[in-house]
Amino acid sequence: MLAGIKKVGPFEWEVPQGFVPNMRVPGRFFLSDALMETLEEGAVQQLANVATMPGIVKNSLAMPDIHWGYGFPIGGVAAFDREEGVISPGGVGFDINCGVRLLSTPLRAEEITNRRELIERLFHAVPTGVGAKSSIRLSSKELEGMLLKGSAWAVENGYGNAKDIIRCEEQGQMKSADPSAVSDKARQRGMPQSGTLGSGNHFLEVQEVREIYNASAAERMGLSTGQVCIMIHCGSRGLGHQVCTDHLKVLEGATKRYKISLPDRQLACAPLDSPEGRAYFGAMAAAANYAWANRQVIMHMTRGVLSSLYGIGEDEMPLVYDVAHNVAKFEEHRVDGTLKQLCVHRKGATRAFGPGSHDIPPEFADIGQPVIIPGSMGTSSYLLNGTSRAMERTFGSTCHGSGRVMSRSKAKKALSGQEVKKALENEGIIVRAPSVGAIVDEAPEVYKPSGEVVRVVHEVGISRLIARLEPMGVIKG
Amino acid sequence: MSYVELEHTADVKLRVEADTLEDLFSEAVRALMVTMYGTALPGACTVRVEVHAGDLVGLVHDLLSEALFLSEVNEVVFASACLTIEEGAVYGILQGEPFDPARHRGGSEVKGITYSGMKIRKEDDKYILDIILDV
Repeated sequence: MLAGIKKVGPFEWEVPQGFVPNMRVPGRFFLSDALMETLEEGAVQQLANVATMPGIVKNSLAMPDIHWGYGFPIGGVAAFDREEGVISPGGVGFDINCGVRLLSTPLRAEEITNRRELIERLFHAVPTGVGAKSSIRLSSKELEGMLLKGSAWAVENGYGNAKDIIRCEEQGQMKSADPSAVSDKARQRGMPQSGTLGSGNHFLEVQEVREIYNASAAERMGLSTGQVCIMIHCGSRGLGHQVCTDHLKVLEGATKRYKISLPDRQLACAPLDSPEGRAYFGAMAAAANYAWANRQVIMHMTRGVLSSLYGIGEDEMPLVYDVAHNVAKFEEHRVDGTLKQLCVHRKGATRAFGPGSHDIPPEFADIGQPVIIPGSMGTSSYLLNGTSRAMERTFGSTCHGSGRVMSRSKAKKALSGQEVKKALENEGIIVRAPSVGAIVDEAPEVYKPSGEVVRVVHEVGISRLIARLEPMGVIKG
Repeated sequence: MSYVELEHTADVKLRVEADTLEDLFSEAVRALMVTMYGTALPGACTVRVEVHAGDLVGLVHDLLSEALFLSEVNEVVFASACLTIEEGAVYGILQGEPFDPARHRGGSEVKGITYSGMKIRKEDDKYILDIILDV
């Protein structure tokens, strides 16, 4: 165990002030004893670094998928006071609104007798991998629409239906988006990439609902055992990456100008109410909208494949929900009994608003917001719901995935792409990727067991299990 | 000049070595491209580059960010860079071959060049650069 940190609950650890100099609040993270072995010192250091930032409220937090990132740790959550706080791209990451959505279908797993053909058709319908180009030719006016309106732009242009919109966090559109803060360079990158999956840990997976933990909530979300669902995981592509790069440079200057002292240059930030802070927030929101539109377009392509293969209509394939993993947003939270406007940064963490909270589809208002936790390729994914405990303890946040435990370089030495592919196929999981390297990078062995990460958030009560989904086939970026 | 990949759980950490700063920057560009595309071989494509920053770490960070951008929009995989480094600026030519989906799909998309852990130091007449790339 790391010196200086202490256990304060069955799954809760504290990083006291003083762990790094100038911490304004303590750090807190959630982890089981079994996952403690995977904790990296670098991740704890990053959690402590975040605690030095001006205006941070209560705690610098990390979820049980905590791992060593850049700026914030992955799994990091921090809320900043609207008046005294800052905004930082280091708390959002390059892939703004990297997120995940779950699409339900009326199909049963046993009906998918042509699994390989289904995966092949999806692979050809959705462009994947480095340098992949979209079949959609956007005009600059259309790109502007995506940046302003997100999912609503996609629906207005024929990609999906109005019901999809209410099943997205923020209804798939951050209204504070300011496209004028998105550079020409970012636009150049975004133009040919709408409706592309990207690479790395991004994927589109065909899944079967294998186990239900909360029957009434699952029924309300339209899920039953044996049902086929599709999970889509991707973000804002080159446009979002460029927005982060551009504004990081501006905010580096701002950090000096506002005399903010930071332990890591990647945490460059500016006061929320400064021209630089407002510009980054507006550009980040526009990139988040691009990501929502992107996932909506990919879902539309997916529905097209399922319709043509199985003769089912779009209205039989409702979106269950869509959540963001990398974003900063203004939210109202109760702090020491008083409601406060805070800017909540989630970097590799998921919003998990409890029952009765703002911005939950009315049909789920008494259950809490659906939370989707993807597993790694070949391992379980989970559907959960947000809780009032998350509102009290984590600014309405929970984990976002499993978290890596093996580096890409180690994975390449230890595993072969063909073997990983074959092992998955032996379990009945078809994998399709542009290269075998992409398969090794994301092999099941390189991640923490997703079940253990989810067990921790369930036990702590910051989200509660509804269902477990198992992969049938996956296309990798 | 050369580079190696170091251990990093989530991202890609590289250590680049060269005798001169110009070679160090050029090799860093090649290392970035090999990470992204799996291979980066010399070719006839050239693209001009110029970045400004207050210190050496800022310069290499911005040069790599710009190389990533220029590679994507020009569809060129850079293998080297012919650069001039002055106080507060780097400028010159990036050289490489056209992106070919059949040959350049062996890497992993780089989302950004991070400042976390970025260092340049001189040891035994060699310049050494550590970089972490978000993939």
